[in-house]
Amino acid sequence: MTDPDSFVPQDSKAQAENEGGCDVGRRRLLAMAGGVAVLALAPGVTVWASTFRAKGAVDADPVRYGLLIDANHCQGGCDACVRACKQYNGLSGKTGPDNAQWIRKVTIQDPKTGFTRNFPVMCQHCAKPACVAVCPTGASFRRADGIVLVDKHRCIGCRYCLMACPYQARSFVAHKVDDQRPRAPRGKGTAEGCTLCVERVDRGKPPACVAACARRGHKAMLFGNLHDPQSAIAKRLAQYASTTIRADLGMEPGVHYRGI
Amino acid sequence: MRARALAIAISVVAVLLAALWFTHKGPVPRPLIAQARGHCVVNPSRMRRIHMMWLRQVRMRVVRYGVALRADRLTRCISCHVQKNAQGQAIPINAPGQFCSTCHVYAGVKVDCFACHAAVPEPAFAPGHFSGAHHIQAAFLWPRVLPRHFKASLSRAAP
Repeated sequence: MTDPDSFVPQDSKAQAENEGGCDVGRRRLLAMAGGVAVLALAPGVTVWASTFRAKGAVDADPVRYGLLIDANHCQGGCDACVRACKQYNGLSGKTGPDNAQWIRKVTIQDPKTGFTRNFPVMCQHCAKPACVAVCPTGASFRRADGIVLVDKHRCIGCRYCLMACPYQARSFVAHKVDDQRPRAPRGKGTAEGCTLCVERVDRGKPPACVAACARRGHKAMLFGNLHDPQSAIAKRLAQYASTTIRADLGMEPGVHYRGI
Repeated sequence: MRARALAIAISVVAVLLAALWFTHKGPVPRPLIAQARGHCVVNPSRMRRIHMMWLRQVRMRVVRYGVALRADRLTRCISCHVQKNAQGQAIPINAPGQFCSTCHVYAGVKVDCFACHAAVPEPAFAPGHFSGAHHIQAAFLWPRVLPRHFKASLSRAAP
């Protein structure tokens, strides 16, 4: 992940991603990215960084939920995760500008070599989410366990978060909704995005997309507590090289990718 | 002159009173609330007075802190209070004459819960197997039942 412009999430024919991050450990990679940002923008960054630090170190939270997506196992043409999300959260499944989309399959290709990879992209549940920083009403917030949500009771539909999110993970509900799922309320005039199926997580179940991927036998998605060294996801992250999308932005996503 | 003005005023008042008398239909009938299945999580007469504060408090706790008790689910309110039509299908609870709208039309208060929340219960949910007493206690004492990591980070996560 050395070239910031090499990843365009909404474009299925985005430019190829180089393999530079795969040989480097995650922590070392993040440290490198942070170091570069401070060196390049030292005067402006100092204030900004200290503002975030004042809210407390995210690394000290005992629970931080996240995902590890293994692009080596993600199959092209399979959209089980997308359909599971649609079914569980009552989305229309359409992909137009008026339709909410919480998770999408992305294909990236290196034009020089033809090397192609598929993987899902959804809300990255960042440690320092831009959507939360720009929200004027406090509707966009980060839960204590790291899940980034929209409190639709407070959302005024200004769509700042749609603009701020570099992953284009937020959608806006433009039309009246009548067929909500009882456990996934959503309505006209509010922003929304992947909730990591928070209602399932609170019941101790993995998100619907992760369950669907496992049912399909691909097991390309792993959900768990990133801050618990005993959890499967933390062990896997410690064992193999992984990366986050646009790590250079310093938002510290909770969704990690392997093999991109 | 003054006597004439007085006469006109009196006749106008008389006409208005007469109009009122003939058009008056008596008080608006009290709303007829359909009987719920199961027991309410709070004494119903108390719930009638506090449900708006209750919902505000609970939604904050559930959405922002992720502490959801069984009694907190709006879906559970709906499951007990929803009516079925002749075909056995649930009628939306905010439809005219249904549980929410009956009182809210009477009181002239708009409900906007169902712009986002489903107004019918989950299809698979079987109502009536829920008695609320111990959940209620837990709900009122909620800071004590928070998992430790929530408690530790409450001050930071506070909106």
